[in-house]
Amino acid sequence: MSTATSLHRRRKTTNSLMMTLCLVAAGIGLAWLALILGALLYKGLAGLSVSVFTEMTPPPGDAGGLLNAIYGSVVMTVIAVIVGTPIGVLAGTYMAEYGRFSRLTTIVRFINDILLSAPSIIIGLFVYELLVRPMGHFSALAGSVALAILVIPVVVRTTEDMLNLVPNALREAGTAIGAPRWVVIKSVAYRAALSGIVTGILLSIARISGETAPLLFTALNNQFWSSNLNAPMASLPVTIFQFALSPYEEWQQLAWTGALIITLTVLALSIVARSLTGRREDK
Amino acid sequence: MSQMLSPDMTIAAEAAAKVKIEVKNLNFYYGQSKALKDITLSLPERSVTAFIGPSGCGKSTLLRVFNRIYELYPNQTAEGQVLLDGQNVLDRSQDLNLLRTKIGMVFQKPTPFPMSIYENIAFGIRLYEKLSKSEMDGRVEQALKRAALWTEVKDKLSASGLSLSGGQQQRLCIARTVAVKPEVILLDEPASALDPLSTAKIEELIDELQADYTIVIVTHNMQQAARVSKQTAFMYLGELVEFDRTEKIFTSPREKRTQDYITGRFG
Amino acid sequence: MTTVSEAMPSLAAMQAREATVRRFALTDAIFRAATRFSAILVLLILGGVAISLFVGSWQAMSTFGVSFLTTESWNPVTEKFGALAPIYGTVVTAAISILIAVPIGIGIAIFLTELCPRPLRRPIGIAVELLAGIPSIIYGIWGLFIFAPFVQTTIQPFFINLFHDVPVLSSLFAGPPYGIGLLTSSMILAIMVLPFITSITKDVFDTVPAVLKESAYGIGCTTWEVTRRVVIPYTRVGIMGGVMLGLGRALGETMAVTFVIGNAHRISASLFAPGTTISATIANEFTEADGELYTSSLIALGLILFVITFLILAIARYMLMRIDRRTGA
Repeated sequence: MSTATSLHRRRKTTNSLMMTLCLVAAGIGLAWLALILGALLYKGLAGLSVSVFTEMTPPPGDAGGLLNAIYGSVVMTVIAVIVGTPIGVLAGTYMAEYGRFSRLTTIVRFINDILLSAPSIIIGLFVYELLVRPMGHFSALAGSVALAILVIPVVVRTTEDMLNLVPNALREAGTAIGAPRWVVIKSVAYRAALSGIVTGILLSIARISGETAPLLFTALNNQFWSSNLNAPMASLPVTIFQFALSPYEEWQQLAWTGALIITLTVLALSIVARSLTGRREDK
Repeated sequence: MSQMLSPDMTIAAEAAAKVKIEVKNLNFYYGQSKALKDITLSLPERSVTAFIGPSGCGKSTLLRVFNRIYELYPNQTAEGQVLLDGQNVLDRSQDLNLLRTKIGMVFQKPTPFPMSIYENIAFGIRLYEKLSKSEMDGRVEQALKRAALWTEVKDKLSASGLSLSGGQQQRLCIARTVAVKPEVILLDEPASALDPLSTAKIEELIDELQADYTIVIVTHNMQQAARVSKQTAFMYLGELVEFDRTEKIFTSPREKRTQDYITGRFG
Repeated sequence: MTTVSEAMPSLAAMQAREATVRRFALTDAIFRAATRFSAILVLLILGGVAISLFVGSWQAMSTFGVSFLTTESWNPVTEKFGALAPIYGTVVTAAISILIAVPIGIGIAIFLTELCPRPLRRPIGIAVELLAGIPSIIYGIWGLFIFAPFVQTTIQPFFINLFHDVPVLSSLFAGPPYGIGLLTSSMILAIMVLPFITSITKDVFDTVPAVLKESAYGIGCTTWEVTRRVVIPYTRVGIMGGVMLGLGRALGETMAVTFVIGNAHRISASLFAPGTTISATIANEFTEADGELYTSSLIALGLILFVITFLILAIARYMLMRIDRRTGA
């Protein structure tokens, strides 16, 4: 009897101990998020002013802003999304619709999942070999292509997943009134999966808006205003990288402010994306 | 098997109606497994035929062969002939979309498209016909009236099809099917997901529609088959056991298996 | 006969339909081809990556051969390049980060599935996933300015004092506290892969059938015993998949590491010493590399990283696919 109770007590103690450890783990996870966001807000807000959005990146030791870098990021992101989204949506459509049962789909899904988590610096090297070396110079176009390659797997994945959630009964119903497959996909399946696909696109924007590594040797950087897609272009992440590692205080301050802008953008995109699918689940 | 062929000939003769769909030696496979075994029967024009039988007997499968909807999935194959007005719809050369404009289908669960009530109807019409706005309005109204839904939705045509009740959604689906002017309407357990009141409305509707359309209904509800159909086919384990006038099937079936099923001894 | 006209379209209408049907068939064929081409493009991208890295690194590989993998020296002046130091740094930082992140990640997943009050579950889950969305450069800048000084003044002196008499450990935790180095990089990496491991572990925990857990509780098991004896064994393959996925991330992560690794091409026994990783080397030196052989050697590093991560990620996906198949069936 006494051994039974002591065993029971030991089991209960182990349980409490392990559960406390799990609680601590969760605490650590949340604390880290809080620490990073706190530091970002503290350091970043200090330098946030209108001039950040209206002035160019300054030479060392001068005051200035991030206008050309923000512009470059927006331009390259937009091009990447315009190029990458249709390819991603179409590929996802093949996998969930025309090719749902084909062997090609299984292979593409596997490769796409690998691309999804492949190191982005590798993509940078690929685009360097593909575009920068043949063209002989760095360019915003090359940067956009590198970002587009990062957009594609995210969009492929969510498009396929969301189309797979559309009930087959709906496809059958569309087919049964004589609509060809592409009309069923366009007017029924896409419509039913719309919010999910938009979520995927938003998440892909969130992903590329902070990407630095693939831009380092494709778009490079540019101290000055440039809207030439065939020339090097500044971007927020690369500018942050350069400024943060510099010894100049003004540059370091701008790096923090830039980091805050990126983080807020990414968080906002993720939250909007999540609320879109969240509303869907409630239905 | 051959002695089963004679009764439906007599039905056709009795009703003095033209045969709309003629099935000859139809076999159907899901991969390797055979789901329909040498089915042969004739469906008269403008009348309601019911397919009954326990679940898994192949009644829905047979229905899905008529408009070849099974071709959405791999590894499903049909052998034999299904003649629509004498034309074999299983021919390779048969265009599937065209076939489906002639043979409409309504499913077990209501399947309104994720768009407005008006668009749900107009969607199918627009595929094959270029109509002016007023013509289209007329067609939508006509279809909704045909499905006895007009009075309930005429003030909210731009509301989502998903906002309707289950019974209304199913009538919307019937309206959508009728709107593209098919010749045959296939109903796959159209009332099984509905409450009794909605079911009664659907049955009433089927009764009205048979003046213009050849209707085939799959149901697991024997009373429903008895109420709505002129002729009934009893299927069991992929075979057509008996096909005759509904009245005959439910009062004096020839086959013992039919007898057992309608008296509730199995299934 | 009005009823007939309602049900059946006229001959002219039928002909119009047939024309429409032909147009449909053509559009459908085009659309299908476009989707299929896009799907194949995904394969072509990966193939293109592999080929371009191979071509780009050809010069380095033919110059150095296998010794590229076993040489520590990395000297742009004499053009003698060896990948051993970056490979060492990559493997060590990734391994340590996984050692730190796995217990914490699994702990958070257990907390979220078993302990957390229901109303808090979703917000905390989302917070953890938001952590996964923060760009790596943010971790880098935070690591350089906030975390590294903290490590330098607190963590490193603590370990140096703690282990200075213990054999092995004293050399592992030796040297002047720079703040930056292998250990700091590993810790930043651990924070970065933590959300991946947590969210995948949580997802596979959710695949455990409720009846299985209930029957274990039913014979009097504690929460920990249910987790340890039922949930974790049941989801072992999925957890391994999540860990491998995290490992893939850690191996290839660039910016966060580049900030805090110190970028020194040497292998030191001490975890406090500056080092380098494959991706940090490429990020730091690629644009400044003069000479074909230098560039080619950097691309060869990229190829090595690609091969390693491809294998790790393939294994991870294979394991996660097995879990999916089981729950899908």
